[in-house]
Amino acid sequence: MTYYLVIFAAGFAGSFHCRGMCGGFACALGRDPRGRTATVERHLLYNVGRLTTYCFLGAVAGALGEVLCTSQGLKIPVLNGPLDTAQRFLAIAAGLLMIVMALQFFGLLQGFHRVAVGFGGSTLAASLRNLLKSESPAAPIAFGVFNGFLPCPLVYAFAAQAASTAAPLPGVLIMLAFGLGTFPAMLMMGGVGQVLTPVWRQRGVWLAGSFILLLGLITLGRGVLPFAAHVGHAWATGPGG
Amino acid sequence: MTKRGDHLCSHCLLPIGLRAMQRTVNGEECAFCCYGCCIAFLVKHGQSEEWEAARLLIRLGVGAFLTMNIMLISLLLYAGTFSGADAWLVPWIHLLLWIFATPALVILGEPYLRETWTQAAQGRVTSSALVVLGVGAAYAYSIFATIERSEQVYFDTATMVLMLFTIGSYIEAAGRAKAARDLEPLLAAESECATVVDEGSETRRPVRDIGAGMLVRVRPGERVPVDGVVLEGLSHTDEAVITGESRQVAKRVGSAVIAGSINLDGPLLIQSSGAGSATRWAQICRSVRDALSRRSPIQRIADRVVGVSVPFVLILGGLTVAYWAQLMPFDQALLVGLAVLVVACPCAVGLAAPLATSLGIGRLARCGCLVRDPGTLEALARTRLLAFDKTGTLTSGRSRIVGIESDGAGTDEVLARAAGLERHSEHGLAHAITMAAAARGLEPVVTSDVRAVPGRGILGNADGQSMAAGNSALMSDLGWWLAPALRERARSLEASGHSVIYVGWAGRVHAVLSLDDTPLPEAHSTIEELRSLGLHVTLLTGDLAPAARRVAAVVGIEDMQACLSPEAKRAALDQYRQSYEVVAMVGDGLNDGPVLADADVGIAVGSATDLARETASLVLPPGGLWMLPWVIAVASMVRKTILTNLMWAFGYNLVALTLAVLGLLQPVLAAAVMASSSLLLVVNSLRLSRLPDPAPSALPGRLPSAEPDSVRRALGVPVMSGPAIERG
Repeated sequence: MTYYLVIFAAGFAGSFHCRGMCGGFACALGRDPRGRTATVERHLLYNVGRLTTYCFLGAVAGALGEVLCTSQGLKIPVLNGPLDTAQRFLAIAAGLLMIVMALQFFGLLQGFHRVAVGFGGSTLAASLRNLLKSESPAAPIAFGVFNGFLPCPLVYAFAAQAASTAAPLPGVLIMLAFGLGTFPAMLMMGGVGQVLTPVWRQRGVWLAGSFILLLGLITLGRGVLPFAAHVGHAWATGPGG
Repeated sequence: MTKRGDHLCSHCLLPIGLRAMQRTVNGEECAFCCYGCCIAFLVKHGQSEEWEAARLLIRLGVGAFLTMNIMLISLLLYAGTFSGADAWLVPWIHLLLWIFATPALVILGEPYLRETWTQAAQGRVTSSALVVLGVGAAYAYSIFATIERSEQVYFDTATMVLMLFTIGSYIEAAGRAKAARDLEPLLAAESECATVVDEGSETRRPVRDIGAGMLVRVRPGERVPVDGVVLEGLSHTDEAVITGESRQVAKRVGSAVIAGSINLDGPLLIQSSGAGSATRWAQICRSVRDALSRRSPIQRIADRVVGVSVPFVLILGGLTVAYWAQLMPFDQALLVGLAVLVVACPCAVGLAAPLATSLGIGRLARCGCLVRDPGTLEALARTRLLAFDKTGTLTSGRSRIVGIESDGAGTDEVLARAAGLERHSEHGLAHAITMAAAARGLEPVVTSDVRAVPGRGILGNADGQSMAAGNSALMSDLGWWLAPALRERARSLEASGHSVIYVGWAGRVHAVLSLDDTPLPEAHSTIEELRSLGLHVTLLTGDLAPAARRVAAVVGIEDMQACLSPEAKRAALDQYRQSYEVVAMVGDGLNDGPVLADADVGIAVGSATDLARETASLVLPPGGLWMLPWVIAVASMVRKTILTNLMWAFGYNLVALTLAVLGLLQPVLAAAVMASSSLLLVVNSLRLSRLPDPAPSALPGRLPSAEPDSVRRALGVPVMSGPAIERG
């Protein structure tokens, strides 16, 4: 459980980073002229759409991880550990990816950030504006679904984490925890607009970076360190842990 | 009315085939060639208040929402999350999937269903029928399985296949539009706006509303909308679309500018010299639009293959299901059948030719070369023999003086007197004489009482003496004395195909001017280049043999036939066709219309006539003979691209179909494979847009490109060369 709480917290802290792109959309979605309930409904629908995309990505990442691992199926008999070779490699790759993502939250590796966010983002973002003004009750949900696919380092990081678990269920749960973590901030921004000073926003980003760095290091550790494998694995799979 | 004519897709500019879709975007009727283009266009151009655009996106979004939920739950199911103690949940989860899948199918499948329906109503079966049938079968079976509480349902497959098809067609359409973006300015020419300056105020008006005398402002980077003269400003323009050469031409006050050229560095104020819709640029754009909406032979074959393949695939799918149903449970056999239907969707085959030919036509048009239809490019690529007309094609078509035979008079005196007479004449040969005198800095002798004798020549008075210039008939009419040596010389010149003008004054013929058409400076290198492309080159002319032989020798053609009537030329082409199969004829489009029309590819150089009435199927810009090797290279490249496209499309389909029939391909994977096959063709065709520009500098004998405009124009008219005149 702790594991998912950490991810929830990372999502929460990281969502202040989202203000730039997703938060902007949430603000643009704005208030419903029909009143407060309608506004809340609108933003809930939007966030549910976003959450669905995240969960879907988590499930696919987890399933892909599973396919990669079971098709290899090479156990290391010496270690007799619970992880096979492919899963170790997956953990190393995911861990490294998360560390890279975390570092850019601290303002490092900006070039990589551009590559990650620049890819296809502008087209998608431009087309999304079409949906903003639509009166249709289904528009916010569609908007949220597309929004979820916008390139975002946070999503990449947690999708990588989901893949390293090598099963759909934990993949979904990771993204669910992360997505729910972003809920409060996005709802807040949607409803109230600008509430946080830049200083606090920066602190939130750093906090999110620290969480992701921590998760990345643990994931990497699961792949690299033979003795840590058991611990890390238990931590990741044990729902009560 | 649609913006770009009725036959081209509003998004990717390809001809609209059977799968046309109509939508209203931003208050304008738009037609699309496929569902993908429809989505891509609305996403790109649809305005937020546009109901249609938003509705489509909402539908896709909601469809994606449902599909993702189905996929997510199905993945958990496959992973065995609901096994053991939770197994009692499974039927309920199936029910949930059903509830999700039904609206998803309605939302995502509607365009496919509608297309299938409208086509079926016209007695046709298209590829969307394959999708509808396959997905429908998977859905129907899954309902049955849910009610029966069996272990496996395929709602995820049904919705995912639809989703992937939709996304695939969107990505492909986006790629196609990227490929076609070079065509955009060509098609938009007439609906483009120009900044008209009227008494100090500037208004934007459509180009077609611009008439002669209007003032137009052209900012740097803009295209010059009309032919005209610069009134204000200093700049450079790129006239590639008219001359074929991409280089900077300096423009100052008084310079003529051509519609379609691009203003590079400074703002210009232009006075229009004609109607905006009558420029060569507008004509190029019209012809491109016409050409794009036509179909080439390969395209027709491909369309036929697509038409035949759909029923074939339906039967194959049915047989596959029937076969596998004997070896495995029915639901799995059905899945194999679905994979067959999905993967055999022949979209890529239909796309192979039009994309490549559209790109080729656009590429040529941007250098001023007009193509009548896509078939021309294919025929040109297969051409093995090029027959040239002489006059106006390999030669300048304008005579110049090549010799002066005189009797008792100086060369300069003869020229000055002849020029004094001939400057009153409009005749083509007269122009050559006055130009020759001017080139030598001679003052024409002042001549009075000038009168033309039709079919004979021209008479006048100078310094109290009567003067005459014309043919031998004029001289014998006048009864003027002609020295026997001069008579003999004139006769032999005439026999060798020269034009001859007798010049006389005071009762005596003093000189004989011989004029000849001169080969273009670039003719030799062009012929050489064509030969290096493996083409056989020949000369077919109506002129006398000696003249033809002279030109053939200069430009380097060994094979020639002279004294041919138009009928004889056609017969000669037929003769060549027997040994070379595909033959092309190059002419000036004026005298040789029937021959150009009769050739497999008729190529007109510099023809000013409207392409719609033109007998040639390919028109090069004036002075564009040097571009011919490049045009042929482009045509071969287009043909090669079409063939590789077809190879990919068929090969890909065959391999994937085999795998699907053998049951080795998951339906969802098959849908992804199908989407990527079309994308592959787009990428392959995109290579065409990277073709190099024609390079005149590589040809020896061309003018250096730094030549100022004025010098270039002066050289365009024949100037008598020094040594030729000394022969007298």
